[in-house]
Parts: sequence; C-alpha cells; structure tokens
Amino acid sequence: MATALRRRSLAYLLLAPGTLWLVIFFVIPLYFMAKLSLDTEIPGTLHYHFTWAWSNYKEALQLYDTQFVRSFIYAGIATLLCLIIAYPLAYVIAFKAGRWRSLMLFAVVAPFFTTYLVRTLAWKTILSNESPITEIFHAIGLAPSGHILYTGFAVIAGITYNFLPFMVLPLYASLERIDVRVLEASKDLYASASSTFWKVTLPLSLPGVVAGTLLTFIPAVGDYVNAEFLGGANNRMIGNVIQSLYLTQSNYSAASALSFVLMAVIMIVVFIYIRFAGSEALMGQEAV
Amino acid sequence: METSGSAKKGARRLAIALAGLAVAVGLAACGSGIEGPVEATGAKVELEKKATGNLVISNWPLYIDKKTVPNFEKATGVTVEYHEDINSNEEFFNKMQPLLSAGESGGRSIFVLADYMVAKMIKLGYLQELDKTAMPEVAANMSKALRHPPFDPERNYSVPWQSGMTGLIVNKELAPEVHSICDLFNPKYKGKVDFLNEVRETVPLVMKCMGIDTEKATEADWMKAIAKIKAAAVGGQISRFTGNDYAQDLTSGNAVAVMGWSGDAVQLQIDNPNLEWRMPTQGCMLWSEDMIIPVGAPNPTAAEAFMNYVYKPEVQANITEYVNYVTPVEGVKEVLLKREPKLAANHLIFPSASFTKNCSPTPTLEGKEEKNVIRAFDEVLNG
Repeated sequence: MATALRRRSLAYLLLAPGTLWLVIFFVIPLYFMAKLSLDTEIPGTLHYHFTWAWSNYKEALQLYDTQFVRSFIYAGIATLLCLIIAYPLAYVIAFKAGRWRSLMLFAVVAPFFTTYLVRTLAWKTILSNESPITEIFHAIGLAPSGHILYTGFAVIAGITYNFLPFMVLPLYASLERIDVRVLEASKDLYASASSTFWKVTLPLSLPGVVAGTLLTFIPAVGDYVNAEFLGGANNRMIGNVIQSLYLTQSNYSAASALSFVLMAVIMIVVFIYIRFAGSEALMGQEAV
Repeated sequence: METSGSAKKGARRLAIALAGLAVAVGLAACGSGIEGPVEATGAKVELEKKATGNLVISNWPLYIDKKTVPNFEKATGVTVEYHEDINSNEEFFNKMQPLLSAGESGGRSIFVLADYMVAKMIKLGYLQELDKTAMPEVAANMSKALRHPPFDPERNYSVPWQSGMTGLIVNKELAPEVHSICDLFNPKYKGKVDFLNEVRETVPLVMKCMGIDTEKATEADWMKAIAKIKAAAVGGQISRFTGNDYAQDLTSGNAVAVMGWSGDAVQLQIDNPNLEWRMPTQGCMLWSEDMIIPVGAPNPTAAEAFMNYVYKPEVQANITEYVNYVTPVEGVKEVLLKREPKLAANHLIFPSASFTKNCSPTPTLEGKEEKNVIRAFDEVLNG
C-alpha cells in the first residue's frame, strides 16, 4: 500500500509543474477574460464593471460575422492546400529520399531560422505588382486585375506557406513509422501500387493527417499577421478584428467576447472533426 | 510509510503554493487598470534646480535628426534613452493605459502624441501640468497659431513637437489628373488607391470632397462619409488602409495615389521624383503632435529641459532639415535661409496662409459620437 501511495504522489509531483503553468497562464487569465467579456464600460473612463452584459457577444457577432466566417474559410483552404503540398513531400522524404532525408527535413525546417514576420514581409515583395510571379499569373489569366497582393489569394498563400512545416513534420513522422514489410506484403498479394497506397499507406498515415491538419488549422484561424500584411481592405480576419478592438477601439469587452466565441467555435469544429476522423486515428491506434 | 507521508506533505505544500500563486495572480489582474475605480490625478510637475540623471522619451520613428539627442546630452549631462516605439496613437495609448490609470508611465518622461489623444489624456487625468517657468525658449518661440488650441487653451499640458498637412501623394506619371480627394474614387484607379487608417483625417477629407463643413459636421455627416468610404472599400476601389506604409506601396507601384502626410512626401520625392504631395482642391487637414509628461513620469526636470532645448531655433532647424514637417518654432526659417535656402522656400515645410486657406484642423470627437464614429470606421477598416 505504501508503494502504491508513493507512486501516486510521485505522479502528482510530476504533473505539478505542468499543471501550475497551465493554471497560472491559462486558466486564471481565461477566467478574467470571461469576466471582462461580460463587463460594461463606465462611460468616458476606460474603466469597466461587471454587469453580465451578454449583449457584448451579440453585438460583436453581428458586427463581425463576415470576418468570422472568412477566417474559417481562409484557414480551411490553406489547410487543404498544405495537405496537398505536404503529403507527397512527406512521402518522398519518408520512402524515397535515401541519404538525402536529413537534408530534406532540414530544408523543411530551415525557414524557421528567420522569424515569421520577416518571412511574411518577404511575400509582400514576391507578390507585389511588379514581380515576375504576378506577371506570370496575370499572363495565364489567374490574376485578371493584374495584382495579387492585398487580395484573399495572397492571404491564403501566406498562411499556406507559413504553416506548411506544421503539416509536413507530423505527416513525415507517421509515414516513416510505417513498417515497410506491410507494404511488401501488399505487393506480394498482387495489390497494385495505387491500391497499396489507398488501402495500406494512407490509412496507416491517418494519425499524421489528423495531427497535421489540426496543427495547421487551429493557429491559422486565429492568425492575423498574414491578413495584416498581405491582405487588403476586404481580407481582414477575426484576429485583426480582435487586435483592433483591443488596441484601436479600447473595447476590451467586445474583444474578449469575440476571443471566447472563436475559442468555442474552434473547439466545436475540432471535436466534430476528431469524432469524424476517429480519435484512434489521432492517437495512432493502428500503429499497435 | 514515512517517505510516502513526506511526499504527501510535499504534494499538499505544492497545492497550497499553487493556490497562493493563483490568488496573487488574481489580485494582480484586478489591478490591471482595466477594471477598478476611476482615479484622476491632478498632478503638477515638481522641478529640481538642475536637470540631471536619465530621461526616457517615446516618439514616432524617424521623427528626429541624429544630432539633437547627443547634443542635448552634451549640453546638459542628462543621459537620454530615446525610443521610437510609437506607431499609432491608439495602439500606444492602449498599451500604456493600464499603467497610466495606475499612475505609472512605464519609466517614460515624454510621449509625443496627436492633439486629439492629448485632449483625451488631459480629460482622463493622465498628464502632469507643466511648469512653464523652466521653459523660456518655448514661451518665446512657439508659433503664434499654436498657442491657444481649444483642448489646452494655455498650453498647460502640451508643447507642440511637429505639425503637418494631410493631403494627396500621387505618382505624377501614373495618376496625373488626381487633384481632389474625390478623384481617388475615380474607377480608373481601382485597386491602386490607399486611404489612411486614421479616422480623424480620412473621414473629414472625404467630407470635404462631399461638400460638408468638417468643423460643423454632425454624426450623420460622419456616417455619410464613412458609408461612401465603405462602398469604395467593398467595391475594390481602395486597395487598403495604411499608416506610413503607403510609402512602400507608392515606390513599389502597388498604389498610384494615396492620402498622405506632407513631411513624408518631401522625403519620398528625393528618392522618386515622380511622386509629389498635392494640396487637395477642397483643402487639407492640419494636425499637430505634442510632447507631454504623463503621470508618474520620473525626472520631469530633464523632460522640461529637453522641451526647452528643442525650441531653440538652431536646434529645431536640425530637426526640420531631417523630418521635413511644419515646425512649431518661430525663427527656424531664418536659420534655414542661411543654411539651406531650398528647404526654407519649400511650401510643404513653411506653408503660407494662402496655401492652407481651405485646410481644417483635425476635429476632436467626443463621448458617444466618438464611440459610434470610431466603431463604424473600424468596421470599414476590418472589411
């Protein structure tokens, strides 16, 4: 009995630093944010008092529903693009790269050596009106107005670029774990290359797909840097709105209310997605 | 048994410590200044005999020449920490506000902010009243037109830093016929036009184009102008709303005509002679930014010494030469006539009364009207 107790206390002790961190820097601020989202300003003072003002939620949502929906659309498209670009890349790194594997993985991570902001600003140059990229797109009819910068296309391109490594790495990790003998067995049983892929490789890599899409989609919905620098007047996302509510309008209550709604909606979307994709996929059940 | 007991004790101790920390953080959050009682301080600066020690200044980027700060340090023995950390009146104010409401200034002794923001801070009790006896140069040289602004009639709280005009900056080759703010709505320039993200400049400029008197405008007038801007933004006429970064759009060709500031235009022109500032046919907006001493600011003596120092015409001439805005100090033109006659003749730096005859001061919005207008404009900014 003594050892059981000791084991349990040890578990608690090991959990303590993480729990403490989470409580101080997540739970407590969250509580105050929730409170603030129900506050009303004492007119002209910038001071707030608690009034159960649920109207904050209603007003904020009525004013900014467009940006809300837009954020989910942009993030959704960007996640899909990331998946389409990242899967073949991760596949090649895992199965075909041979001795180039480390180098290729390094290339995927290398952009992280420069900051997020600088990389996004570089895209401003890449997509500016006078860049060859814009001219090519214009010539093949993909940018009829002659500019790409300050459009939704630019914002999605920026998000896709910036979050690509978050998709590649989990995909690579799950593909690399696949036992090559399973693939050989599939071929031994006269499965074609494509049916081996669809029936064996892809299902086995699902944990990577689920992890990668979540790691990309969740931060992408709340992202505001790409819309700030690459988007125009009609491409602002919910992150931009929350930032400007806090810093331009001094409307802390509305900003907190929107942050809460964003969090809730993301949680619901993720929950549905995991139910749909199966939580075993996330936990990597098949690998057992 | 004993070891498990002590482990248990340890766990309990940890739990207690955790609860204690939670309470501490909770209390700290309560004192963040967002929630809590209102306290206005009517502080006045208390001066020492001689300026010494350390002085921290917050100003906008590229808003001072390279010599003035070191020269001031040499002349007075004060060491200056000069931060270029203001990029937007609202953002800076909102980052500082929790500190200010607790009577602190974040270690800074001078802020440089726009008139309307200064007006707001005076009302909230966030500024210290100045001791004008320590600033004879300010008393002697401040431009007559700036001595009695409505928000601070005796200049008890603020000393102008620079003034300027908001009008048009156009690419002469690509947008030759843009002369009025109305021309920015010309479909020919669809998607090649930037507006400023400053509600108090952009909206009145558009009101002028609509024939509304900005000084008598009602809330409905503001809303009408905002609706016009919104339609242009949604229709893709306006590429985006910018601060200083319209400069990049002009030089890279992403924009051909923008709303812009006079001093920027002087600097942009040096690199690209095709760019020029134009006085809108219906007139420009006039604004000033002021030096202020916030509540709780350390070393107000040195702060006032600095204000006094930059009001010496020879010192101010260096600043004018570098920033190219309209100087609030009299006597600078005379200094520059000898040193750089070309600048002294530039009507963007020394505008004549006839040049600015149609221009209006940036309006101050108040109370409910301010809230509604800012919200409506922000909705446009956030598309």
